[in-house]
Amino acid sequence: MNARRAFAFTRRTLQQFRHDRRTLGFVLGMPLLMVIIFGYTFGGEVSNIKVISINQDLGLPAGTMPNFPNGLNMGDRMDKSLSTNTLSIERTADVDAAREKVDKAQTWAVIIFPSNFTQNFIQKMAGNVSSPKPVVEIYLDGSNPNIAATFMKSINSAILSAINKLAAEMNQSSRDMPVSIERDYAYGGSGLKFIDYFAPGVISFAIMMVTTMITIILFVFEKRNGTLQRLLVSPATEGEIVFGYAMAFAVIGIIQSVVILSAAILLFGVTIQGNIFLAFFVILLLAFGHQGLGILLSAGAKNELQAIQFIPLILFPSVLLAGLFWPIESITPILQPVSWFIPLKYGIDAERSIMLRGWGIEQVWPQVLALVFFACLTLGLSVLLLKRRR
Amino acid sequence: MLVVETEKLTKKFGDFTALDKLDLSIEAGETYGLLGPNGSGKTTTIKILTGLTKATSGTATILGKRVPSKAIMQKIGYMPQETAVYLDNTVHENLALYSQIFGMGAEETSKRESAMLKFVDLTDWKDSMVTNLSGGMKHRLSLACALIHEPKLLLLDEPTVGVDPELRATFWEYFRKLAKKGITVIITTHYMDEASHCTKVGLLRQGRLIAEGQPEALKKQYGMDSLEDVFLTLARRRDVK
Repeated sequence: MNARRAFAFTRRTLQQFRHDRRTLGFVLGMPLLMVIIFGYTFGGEVSNIKVISINQDLGLPAGTMPNFPNGLNMGDRMDKSLSTNTLSIERTADVDAAREKVDKAQTWAVIIFPSNFTQNFIQKMAGNVSSPKPVVEIYLDGSNPNIAATFMKSINSAILSAINKLAAEMNQSSRDMPVSIERDYAYGGSGLKFIDYFAPGVISFAIMMVTTMITIILFVFEKRNGTLQRLLVSPATEGEIVFGYAMAFAVIGIIQSVVILSAAILLFGVTIQGNIFLAFFVILLLAFGHQGLGILLSAGAKNELQAIQFIPLILFPSVLLAGLFWPIESITPILQPVSWFIPLKYGIDAERSIMLRGWGIEQVWPQVLALVFFACLTLGLSVLLLKRRR
Repeated sequence: MLVVETEKLTKKFGDFTALDKLDLSIEAGETYGLLGPNGSGKTTTIKILTGLTKATSGTATILGKRVPSKAIMQKIGYMPQETAVYLDNTVHENLALYSQIFGMGAEETSKRESAMLKFVDLTDWKDSMVTNLSGGMKHRLSLACALIHEPKLLLLDEPTVGVDPELRATFWEYFRKLAKKGITVIITTHYMDEASHCTKVGLLRQGRLIAEGQPEALKKQYGMDSLEDVFLTLARRRDVK
């Protein structure tokens, strides 16, 4: 590998972008537009949010209350009213293990009904002012405001429906039955807006789209215009050509990310918890992998018109299945495994964990590894493809 | 000294034989015209010499080295049929790319670049975007790109197709100057009248060399006024056989 030769391609490509203002505008403008439009307008329904419910409520034993000869357990009633459409509930008893799952982002929240829940509830209902309020404890990953809000709505309605049912059974007003919810955030919090959650996804998505599309079109041009043949009839190796292009897209990817991040921070006050350089590193890996994908796809296109036809092919699976808008758990189970093969998913996962949860490489390494694998695979195959051309 | 030599060079695409046991020997300093109609194997020959295509059987050597060979690329200048320049870059940026690929230093690059710009008469357009140049200028730039590293052998695949008569004359003027410098030029064309500019021509038909020699000598040998008539006569004779 001759670095000077490889960087000659990098320089040439960057010069092209400098001259071609419209393409440059597209590269920087499209992601900006996406942040702004989606940031302001998007708010989709989520479902199948993974949560853990722990009912420690001892309740009141049978016989203590005349209306309830079989005893009363409010924790159990509320737990049963939790919506199974919105939530995907796991029931355990181990609080520490459950909280750890939230910390590791394996589940979104833990709901705990404490042991004295029913007791305090009945006391409060009976007008005992000195009794503590019945409390539902919640430990929540608030890094996705959309999920956090949907989850809270679902908790509130579960509590309300349990109370209303009880009120009907006792012929009493449900207004006398107050319940408090104590929230504790693992990540994010009530200050986190949807745009915070959205920014890492948009960055990953924009890098993916721009890199793939522009690589396909550049290489189709190279092929059709004879410049690729000319490069192959030179001392430059296929590896140098691919590496040279990769470096150009690395530079473009970094500039794009800086623009998107600046807009997200300045316009929407997005905060970044983790290491920004790690975030950039993940972006570069995404760009490399999709550049390779672009070169490979360009082999299947005879002209620019055919090249454009690849766009929906890459666009739709990525938008719908990579977890850009809604979590992968909300997708029909049959389609979920498809997302494992979409590299963008790993990019989005990693960027969100870095930017929202403040995670470091020791936590995001599986995603980073997946992206490294994807980049090596596509770039390696691109080199082979160019070699086959001679 | 032989610059290009092929021995029983054969290329098949499925059932179609594009080159049929072609034997070529091209001396240094020659301006060799590979003549023939479309589909006669001209471009295939060039593609094998440049390493863009692999021969089915037979061998091809350039300057004593078997092709395909990366090492020999340094000594070849290649101008494809297409314009093969980057439209969204300037003239200078195009030339700079190729000089860097061919491992030239900064000083050598600027010296060669000025010389090439002067050679193809584009000095005033150095910083213009290629997309704004006329078709003829793009062609001239393409030639300059092929020559920037001072190749010993220049391979030109139909450089005069779609080129107006004035520029065609200019191009032949360029090729004559290059020949004077001792550069071997192999040029493919289906314009038989152009062959008079070559020192030697090979008539190619259905992947075979049907006649070879100096243009004047060939005309004399077959008693014809033009190479086109020579070609047609030979073609008919073969068909009768």
